[in-house]
Amino acid sequence: MSYIEFKNVVKRFGDNTVLDHIDFGIEKGDLVTLLGPSGCGKSTLLRCLSGLEAVSEGQIILNGRDITGVPASKRNIGMVFQQYSLFPNMTVEQNIAFGLKMQKADPAVIEKRVQEAIAMVELTGKERSYPANLSGGQQQRAALARSIVTEPDVLLLDEPLSAIDAKLRRALQSRIREIQQELGLTTIFVTHDQDEAMVMSDVIQLFHAGRIEQAGSPVQVYTNPVSEFAASFIGSYNLLRADEFRALTGDMADDGRVVAIRPETIGISAEPPIDDAAYVAEATVVRSVPRGNVLRYTLDASGVEFRVDTLFRSFHLFDDGERVFVAIPKHDCLHIPAEAAHARAAA
Amino acid sequence: MATSSSAGSPAKTSMRRTWFGYAALIPFALVVIAYEFLPLAQILIDSLIGKESGAPGLENFIKIFTTPLYQQSIWNSVWISLLSAVVGIAVAFLAARFAYESSARVRGAFTLILNMMSNFSGVPLAFAFMVLMGNSGVLTIMGRSWGIPFLADFDLYGSQGLVILYIYFQIPLATLLLLPAFSGIRKEWREAATILKASSIDYWVKIVVPNLMPSILGTLSVLFSNALAAYATAFALVMNNFALLPLQITSKFKGDVQVDAATGSALAVVLILLMVACTLINNHFTKRAAKGREIV
Amino acid sequence: MSANVKRKTCNESTSLGAKIFLGAVGLYLLIPFLVTFVYSLFVEWTDILPSGFTLRNYIELFGNATFWASIGRTLVLCFASVIITIVLLLLAMYAVVAINRRLGNVMQFICMIPYALQGVILSIGIISLYTGTGTILSNRMVMLFGAYAILVLPYIYQGIRNALNAIDAEMLIQAAEMLGCGRFRAYVQVVLPNIVSGILVSSLLAESIIFGDFVLANNIAGTNYQNIQVFLQANMDTSSGLSSAIVVIIFLVVGAVTALVLKLQSGARKSEKE
Repeated sequence: MSYIEFKNVVKRFGDNTVLDHIDFGIEKGDLVTLLGPSGCGKSTLLRCLSGLEAVSEGQIILNGRDITGVPASKRNIGMVFQQYSLFPNMTVEQNIAFGLKMQKADPAVIEKRVQEAIAMVELTGKERSYPANLSGGQQQRAALARSIVTEPDVLLLDEPLSAIDAKLRRALQSRIREIQQELGLTTIFVTHDQDEAMVMSDVIQLFHAGRIEQAGSPVQVYTNPVSEFAASFIGSYNLLRADEFRALTGDMADDGRVVAIRPETIGISAEPPIDDAAYVAEATVVRSVPRGNVLRYTLDASGVEFRVDTLFRSFHLFDDGERVFVAIPKHDCLHIPAEAAHARAAA
Repeated sequence: MATSSSAGSPAKTSMRRTWFGYAALIPFALVVIAYEFLPLAQILIDSLIGKESGAPGLENFIKIFTTPLYQQSIWNSVWISLLSAVVGIAVAFLAARFAYESSARVRGAFTLILNMMSNFSGVPLAFAFMVLMGNSGVLTIMGRSWGIPFLADFDLYGSQGLVILYIYFQIPLATLLLLPAFSGIRKEWREAATILKASSIDYWVKIVVPNLMPSILGTLSVLFSNALAAYATAFALVMNNFALLPLQITSKFKGDVQVDAATGSALAVVLILLMVACTLINNHFTKRAAKGREIV
Repeated sequence: MSANVKRKTCNESTSLGAKIFLGAVGLYLLIPFLVTFVYSLFVEWTDILPSGFTLRNYIELFGNATFWASIGRTLVLCFASVIITIVLLLLAMYAVVAINRRLGNVMQFICMIPYALQGVILSIGIISLYTGTGTILSNRMVMLFGAYAILVLPYIYQGIRNALNAIDAEMLIQAAEMLGCGRFRAYVQVVLPNIVSGILVSSLLAESIIFGDFVLANNIAGTNYQNIQVFLQANMDTSSGLSSAIVVIIFLVVGAVTALVLKLQSGARKSEKE
């Protein structure tokens, strides 16, 4: 039995089913990411676990205890919100001490644990500052300290970094991961950013339209998407319909399936490569776009457009319109179920 | 605590919380019902029960629209309110325009005066105008000694006086309401218009005024209903001796004559309808102005 | 011409035309009060210029027990009614913020009706409903408190609603809830301290509205319970010297409250920018 268990959780808002029979478990000490586009139900599930939202059906078990009907204030769950939600009339110190005061902890204990928490999130020197005088990153760290100081059973993070600029964001991602591992704190992290999910998670639960599309470690989810949606959301797979795949490789794919190929697995060269384990095709360079240390080519082969990523090395540059050869390793062509047309429209 | 609540169903917890939340509405609801809804209902009911017959019907309204005094009251209220609103908004438009183009210091000082003087209304305002333009008022005396008939013979205690007073209290209110609209006019529009070879007049007529139209009409409606319902200023000036809707309404419930709730309530309903009509017309024009802008 | 105007807006300097127009409007607005002020300081003003400087009007006014009584009543009405309305609305807004957000629209509608009713209709509705019912409700004071509570409803409501929106009260309550705090307790301990200054501004505005009210006081209570405006009206015909002093005092009190409101508002705007 897992530490946290969602048992057939359903949540409806009016006629709209936001969570459709969610059923999975989370192991103690893991950092689990709920990943998906906005409106997929990931935040709603988090709010159901927190108790801020009541479930319509199903049960939530935390550490062997059915918490489905327990009010949020009695669940011993910590939560960090997207907008931080620090109390504006209290200093950093007072904000962090708030939860302990609610538990009627001994003042000496409060003092000690607040100081520890402040040190942990590296806010020493800002104890007496008010939230309005902190930067976004500092506010987020104060909010993190506030929610871990009470030693909750679970920590919930609802897109906590989405309002923070990219550079600071990476630093905070790794800091949060370090603290989580240091405390062995079971943590659920909601994000729509697949890179963030890759960097931070033990387990990714990929959400799509109120259901879990795929679950697994970052590597599993990245290398083995189980559906067209998973492949399009994670990484930047080339997704080829059966007829496109045949046009490109001459090989067959079943109807109702798409073939997903990661752009970095495809080799590109001026001379035809000799490789039995790969499909080889001739293509024209449509355009190339540098993206950091990667150069992304868009190629055209027999009317099928697809992308190829290569490391940005000058001796490998091809011009637009140039004829090239590509080698697509056969074992990197993933035949996965195509998404039903209506689901694609909804996404 | 935690173990006992784990047995409780989610419905039960949220019910208890919801019940408590709705209970917090009760005191507010009681006061609003007692002093907002019921008094309104009382007026409506009284207006529909005939004064003579005691039977429900439109008797009171028929009486109002056939009695010269009440006809006159409605007419006076409408034209005085309308005139004061139009003059008020014309002055306010220019004042807001100049204030908007002025330095922050001038604008700040002017806004301060507006804020201060927007409170100067009602009985104190009537009194101040009596000192200024009454029978032995300062300006009246000046008018007499310098031979200015307009000042010397000014009749403060009649429609002339009411118009002057109403315009006075409309100006600060109108300007304060229009100023924020002017700050919505972007400086780049002027620059864009100049680049496109628009003259200054083109710019004002074709860009500024159409953009301000919803605010102007909205403000006009506020001013109109503000004047329509004004009581203290008029009462302090002319007591009940003038055919004006608010004065006539109040005199039916108070004062020397016997209480005549039926007629008074019917007049009050007319006043309410005028205010509602004014709001509806305003909404109509505001929407049309917005639509017109979309097409352009 | 257009280039000329453009330069002016950019340089933020004031054109002569603007100065003259604004000056004229400002003067027009100030003159009635200034004349009354001068009038209150002189024995008589029967010629072009007033004559005989005196503080007699003020000395007489401050020695008048009825004046102090009416000031006292006005202040009691101001504070009691505003506090009643604040308490009622804070309780009601708890339901909106913590239970059902959709109630907000109904609250908004109810609270904006008094804007349209204004004093005349409100006062006659209340007197014709409660006069002579022989209950506590027919007490003129009770009626007046009720009427004022409704009169200031739009102002206090807007103040509280804006303050709640500014701090995102709903989120703060949820954050407190996650820290083991009940919803109502969170509303009292976390939300209320953060909206005090917002409520303060709107209640000062409401105070100045009640302070300046004549209609409700005159129609509902009349001479039984004179407030300052009714006191002024009662004295207007008999003693113009005394009345001019009352006008000055009323203006100064309301002006001071307005200045305080403006100061608080600009302070709030500045801190927002920071």
